[in-house]
This record gives sequence, C-alpha cells and structure tokens, in this order.
Amino acid sequence: MSILEAIFQPGWVDTALKVGIIVVKILVLIAVVMFHVAYATYFERKVIGRMQVRMGPMEVGPHGLLQPIADMLKLFFKEDIIPEKADKPIFYIAPIISLASAMSALAVIPFYKDFMVANINIGLLFVLAMSSLASYGIVLSGWASNSKYAFLGGLRSSAQVISYEIALGLSLVGVMMMSGSLNLNEIVKAQAAYPTGFYAIPQILGFFVFVVAAIAETNRAPFDLPEAESELVAGYFVEYSGMRFALFYAAEYIGMILMGCIASACYLGGWTVPWYLIKILPFLKYVPGIVWFVGKVYFIVFCYYWIRATLPRYRYDQLMSIGWKLLIPLALLNILITGILKVIF
Amino acid sequence: MTVQELVKKVFFVEILKGLALTLSRLFTKPVTRRYPKEKRPAALGFRGLHALVRNPATGEAKCVGCGLCAAICPSRCIYIYTKEGPDHKKVVERYEIEVLRCVYCAFCVEACPFGAVVLTPHYEYSDYSRDNLYMTKEKLLQNWDKYMGEEGYNYFDKFWNPKADHFRTPKEQPKWRKS
Repeated sequence: MSILEAIFQPGWVDTALKVGIIVVKILVLIAVVMFHVAYATYFERKVIGRMQVRMGPMEVGPHGLLQPIADMLKLFFKEDIIPEKADKPIFYIAPIISLASAMSALAVIPFYKDFMVANINIGLLFVLAMSSLASYGIVLSGWASNSKYAFLGGLRSSAQVISYEIALGLSLVGVMMMSGSLNLNEIVKAQAAYPTGFYAIPQILGFFVFVVAAIAETNRAPFDLPEAESELVAGYFVEYSGMRFALFYAAEYIGMILMGCIASACYLGGWTVPWYLIKILPFLKYVPGIVWFVGKVYFIVFCYYWIRATLPRYRYDQLMSIGWKLLIPLALLNILITGILKVIF
Repeated sequence: MTVQELVKKVFFVEILKGLALTLSRLFTKPVTRRYPKEKRPAALGFRGLHALVRNPATGEAKCVGCGLCAAICPSRCIYIYTKEGPDHKKVVERYEIEVLRCVYCAFCVEACPFGAVVLTPHYEYSDYSRDNLYMTKEKLLQNWDKYMGEEGYNYFDKFWNPKADHFRTPKEQPKWRKS
C-alpha cells in the first residue's frame, strides 16, 4: 500500500509523463546513434578506400549500402567463444562497461536547443568521467582474456588513456572559462553570443589539443597502439567474438561520435550558426539547428578517417612524449592565455 | 634549427601536405577492377590452360607422341603413352597433363615439332577437386575447341610461331646442301 501511495502521489500523472518523455528521448537517441554507428563503419571504409584509390564496399546493395546490415547479421549469428582460461565474469562484463559508459555520456549532449536527455550542470565533467570509465572496459577485457596480446593492448590503453585524459580535460578548461559553465547547453548559448560565433577561433590552441587528445582517447589511428593490428592482432578485444566483439566495436564508434559531439558543442558552436553568416546569407536561419549540429559532427568524424588514411602509427615513446611534453604544456598555456585575456577584457 | 624549420614543425607542414594528398585522392577514380564482373582481357600469348591442337584435316590431335614436350617439361607433368596401331603406325594412346603441377613455362609449346600443344588464354578454371584438373587427351582437345576454336590456328601461328610446322623448311632459308 505504501509503495502504491508513494507512486500515486498527487500530481503523479505529471511525473509519469516526464519519465515517459525521457524514456522516449532515450529510445530515439539510442536508435539514432546505433544507426549512425552502423553507417559510420560504412562511411569509414568508403572514405579510406577512396583515399587509397580503392572502391571500398561495393557488393552488398547499391554501392555497398547494405554492408553494415550484413556485417551486423554476421556478428549476431557468430559463435560466442569464451577462452577456457578467461576470467569469465569480468570477460562478460567488460564490453558492457565500455558500451554503457560511452552511451551514457551521450545523455548530456545538446543535439538541439534544450534537447538533451539530462540537462545537468556538470555536463562536460560527466562526459570526461564517462570517457575515462570506458577505459575500464578496455583494461578489464585485456586482463580477463588471459592472452598476451589482449593484455598488452589493455596495458597500453590504460597508460595512453590516463595520459591523454589530462590533456583532454585541460583543453576543455579554456572553454569552461570563456563560457563560465559546465553545462553543454549553456556553453553553446554562450558561443552564440560570442563575437566569432564559435570558440574554435579564440581557443585555437585548446581546439588543437582537444582534437589530438580526442583521437588518442578513442584509440584511433595514428594513436591506435592498444589495437595495433600489425603487432597485437587486434589488441584488447582479440579474444572476443560475435556480439561481444560488436559491443566493443560499437563502443569505439560511439566514442568517436561522442568526441565529435563535444567538439561540435564546445568549439564549433553546436546547433547555432555564427550571426555574421546569417547576415550574409539570411536563408540560413531557416535551416534547423540539428542539421548544423549533425553536420559538424560528421565533419569531425570525417577528419578522424582522413587522419587515419594519412598518418602512420606513432611509436609508443613518441605517443607518451607528445602527450606529456607537448599537449599538456600547450593546454596549460592555453588556460593561462585565456585567463589573462579574461582578466583584461 | 632555422626559423623555417621551426615554422614547419610548429604548423605541421608535412602532416598537412600528407592530408592534402589524401584529400585530393578522395576525388580521383578508383583504379580497382571489380574482377568477377569486370574481366581483364588476357594479353596475346597469355599462358593459361593447356590444349591439344586439333588437326583441321582429320579432326584428330596433331600430336604424334614423340615425347619431346614430356622430355623438356621442367615439372615433369606431361605423361604420354603410345602403342602400335594398325598398319604399323604409332598411335598416341594417352596424353595427360597434370595441370596443378604445371609451371606454365610453355617449353612444351616451344619444343613441339608439330605445333600440337598450346597454352590457351583461358585462366579461370579453379575447381574443388584435383581430378577435374587432371587433363586427359579428350579434355585437352575439348579445351582447344572451347578456348581456341577456329581462330585458334591463326592466333597460334601468329603468336607462338611454332618452330617447324610439319618440319617445313622456311622459304627464306638458303639451301646449304649442294646437289
């Protein structure tokens, strides 16, 4: 009786409605993001193929458009092999940690004006926390697989993610200082009010550090040492197969999309267009904000592929020296400059 | 470090050059050929599947069973069995090529004094069983019909230029024997 009373308090319809709206938002978000993950693999193979003067997927459907669906079906029906000597509970839970932390960070991304699943004040901090939690999935999977390749991949990843986490966080401090908020929604609104319309221009140093650190944070080329194909086979998820492998794969691509979203929201103005562009081309204000946001995310994701198609992998000591000797001092310098400018103006 | 080098390093000039190159390649046409759908024509004299030349006069194989091809074959994959036929003639009983052991050097074609064996331009003959790729005389003759046919004689003479078709003396060769 008391439980029922607790649920059916006066105004329970409103509460139920609010919860229902949030659930619908979550479902829409997950569906859209999973669709994007599937087609991000297609986009990647196509872009890298064309950059290497190849064709990329062409066989399944027109221009290979159904390739992600074929891949998904294949992974779904594959045998789920668990190594005999694996630490089973951790082996089971590691990909779920990876995926869950990557997806939960999406909750605070403002895709459109005030459209976010959770409008919390510490949005940016939450994203950073979740992206460092994602590395637990990698470390644990490397440990639980009981394979030397997976283990080395996990070790490399933990070292890399910890070093680049600092640079990533510090590069975003400049944005926090300029906007005076950690809420991504507020950050985008502050950018729209800023003379240049986005923070990538005044924060060019921070933007550079952020992009490099984001590539390293998501373990993408040229910083893909944890999954270095040529030396570690596939790195930390080498022992995984079937759906569990797909979960890791999805987590990696969600991580990329997430970094694209943060770059879009923190540096490129999110769903807004700079006011001077609207002044020059007035029809641009009829373009819905979500198009701008998604377009910016696509651009960042394209840059990921572009960089992957261009640069070879860094050596491990180079990776560490870039992280500690270049990016962190640059990020600190950026904070200093931003602080001084903030005091002067 | 000169100023120029410093500027190059700070602005990642080399990395940007690389990025520009890959971006420019994005808009070029791929060089890939989509193989099973889009076949590349074999060049003249391509050394593919073996065939025995059919004598246009009799419809039988030109081969007389001299065994020179089997003798010169570096991988020893040609087997010839002959027997005595009616009116004391040599008859080729079996002429077999183990295709999977062949190295496609075409020495057999060059060695043959009668222009009786040839490598056709056909190259798509993968199979699930070894037996299907063990060529008997009948199969080799069929290969001629299938992949060379009527134009085959022309192509064969033109490209492979068999040394001595029926030991004919070339016209331009001066007579060295006094008679």
